[in-house]
Amino acid sequence: MYHSEDFVEDGLSYHAYDSVYLKGRQPPGAGMEGNANYENEIARQHLASMIPKEVIEFLLYFQKAINENNVPELQIIYESGFDKLSEEFFRQESWPEPDLVAPIVENDKIFLILYKELYYRYLYSKVGKSMIGQQREESYYNYCDIFNYILAGDYETGSASPGPVSLQLPNQWLWDIIDEFIYQYQAFNQYRCRVFNQPGKNEAEFAYLSESPAWNVMSVLNVLHSLIDVSNINRQLEIYNSGGDPESVAGDYGLIPLYKNLGYFSLIGLLRLQCLFGDYYQAIKVLDSVDFNKKSTYSRVAACQVTTYYYVGFAYMMMRRYQDAIRSFCNILLFIQRHKHMFQARNYQQDMMLKMNDQMYNLLAICLVLHPMPIDESVDSQLQEKCSDKIRKMQSRDFNEASVEFEHSFAFACPKFLRPSCAVPEPGTRGIDLNREPYNLQLKVFQEEVNQQYILPTIRSYLKLYTSMSMGKLADFLNVSEDDLKSHLLCYKHKINNRVWLKGAGGLSGEFQSNSELDFFIDNDMIHIADTKVSRRYGDYFIHQINKFTELHNTLKQLPK
Amino acid sequence: MESKKKQIAKQLVGIERYNPDNIEPLVSYVDFQAREPAAYDVEANLALLKLLQFNGMSKPDTQRKILLKSLTALPASDFTLCKCLIDETTQHHTVVARILKLHDDLETCNFIGFWLSLRDCAELVADIVGFEDSIRRFICRVISITYQTIDKVTLSELLNTPVDTAQGVANLGYWIDRYRWTDSDRHVLVSNHDDSIKTKNIVEKISFESVMGLMKL
Repeated sequence: MYHSEDFVEDGLSYHAYDSVYLKGRQPPGAGMEGNANYENEIARQHLASMIPKEVIEFLLYFQKAINENNVPELQIIYESGFDKLSEEFFRQESWPEPDLVAPIVENDKIFLILYKELYYRYLYSKVGKSMIGQQREESYYNYCDIFNYILAGDYETGSASPGPVSLQLPNQWLWDIIDEFIYQYQAFNQYRCRVFNQPGKNEAEFAYLSESPAWNVMSVLNVLHSLIDVSNINRQLEIYNSGGDPESVAGDYGLIPLYKNLGYFSLIGLLRLQCLFGDYYQAIKVLDSVDFNKKSTYSRVAACQVTTYYYVGFAYMMMRRYQDAIRSFCNILLFIQRHKHMFQARNYQQDMMLKMNDQMYNLLAICLVLHPMPIDESVDSQLQEKCSDKIRKMQSRDFNEASVEFEHSFAFACPKFLRPSCAVPEPGTRGIDLNREPYNLQLKVFQEEVNQQYILPTIRSYLKLYTSMSMGKLADFLNVSEDDLKSHLLCYKHKINNRVWLKGAGGLSGEFQSNSELDFFIDNDMIHIADTKVSRRYGDYFIHQINKFTELHNTLKQLPK
Repeated sequence: MESKKKQIAKQLVGIERYNPDNIEPLVSYVDFQAREPAAYDVEANLALLKLLQFNGMSKPDTQRKILLKSLTALPASDFTLCKCLIDETTQHHTVVARILKLHDDLETCNFIGFWLSLRDCAELVADIVGFEDSIRRFICRVISITYQTIDKVTLSELLNTPVDTAQGVANLGYWIDRYRWTDSDRHVLVSNHDDSIKTKNIVEKISFESVMGLMKL
């Protein structure tokens, strides 16, 4: 697995694990000689003295917690301490640079790589768009250090034997590391495309990025796959699903929560990455061992759950498995509704989750227009509140109006697709907007699918009115020839008949089923229609009223005579 | 076929999936699938398309074969998945554009249009063995979920087995037998949908136990 051949082709390298990270990296402090050194030192000490005392105390406390593997303390520090100080001291700028912090913590390597992770993440959230290539590369190499340490356990700690490290971190942080890693890859990819789009604008950056090996797609994939392999997470999940004890197959690394959780989060990371590249089949395949129905102890991190269901639902939708997509979206939207307290917009991560919430309502609206079926009432009422206008437009008889609305909803709700190839574009092709290319492709596929189904809602609305109808009559209503009508009816049946996941692990499995509200069959020239009628629910209403009156009754009883 | 599938699958585990060395074996695997009607491996094909995407390469002939083979996999949405991995420039290529048109006809169930389009680009599908029969399988499937009884002339048009030639009649007979439909002169009884497709009435059921606590009896 960890062999050391290099295979380089056209700037995209297929690297093996242990050589990629160290390639081209300058050791810190290299090249600084002479008098300039002294002046820099003075300047640095001055800056260091400007760090507020509270921050210094916090950093030392933080360092102690990490070295003692005090996970509960770390959780508090990570989830509220850091944010509080950020609000107080660093609202407009970044945290102190790692070089300034190093002397305070006596150059504690482990603490520094973790501090840098937070430092760069905060920087991205403040000034992400204007970061230059070099800064992004530095952040990349820091991630390399972190993963090098976790996977090979030899980051200058002097430990001669590779093996699992004793570091422990709260789950939320572990998820954030993977999430941010992929996010920064995404940001770098888009940044690189922006620079390549206008080579003349910034020659230096262009040259720098053409040479830089940082944020190579193969390294990102390598990290995720290595984490998955080392923790044996797939085997563990399989055994867990069948009711066995995952520890029996976990192996040395997999037993340790750090590795197990990183393994699981890497699976979700892969799911996300495959969706961004447009490979929906592989995205769902990655989660083959995960059984969505089983209550999982593997993920108590809310952001992880939301991300999982968003990408799973999106992948299903692009595969035209609308029923599965609707089910996924409803699951997570219900979860978010029930746990509203977890989703107050306190920081940029929760902002992102709220945005995903809105995106999912949009996607749900799209799926329900294409494949109407009954869903949970509370999700339905929220959906109507947010998207009833869009739904109306998407169902419009006017082809253009519907088409435009589908495009808007897709544009809002889709993830930011990426171009995996790192090749510098040829001079002749530089007219294409490299960032838009992947999005345009996915939009095109989506639109073609929608266009194929364009006439179906209209047919559905006519069929709803009758229990049986002759072909000729329907053809008249729709103003089409009978031959065309035959195609349309066949198309209707074809499109509502999709693969639906039934049970067990493995999201790709399933039987062909059609569970749409409206179904029919043709007997010679007659269409026999079967509708689904949902009668009014009265149970909830009565229960609500009963409770209200009971309360009223109790209040009355307590009033003084 | 099964052993070959397993062998290829082994080469695509984990990070090895992205190894450019796999491109050549996968290309010859696609050729093998083109020659054998029963052979079809969507995972290997998608892996190949992905390798081409990652390396910024293009292999028009192999891509053509993959697309045509995924047409034979209908009603599974494999073709759509392939489309998502082939960049737009390649999609505007004449050959691919014609295949996209074929797909569009099939997805909108415009079967008569499909057979006409196919006649115009017969050379494109010549090296995919058993292509037409696979498509007929798909058409029969859609017909069997839609129709209870269909008249013979329509059926023959949809399947492109013209009843005015002896060959056409024989072909039609083959497909009717294969799906165990009943041939009765002018009509063909496809399947009985009376039981499966009926109006459903969803009524709320409230059991006594569930409200007992509320009523405090």
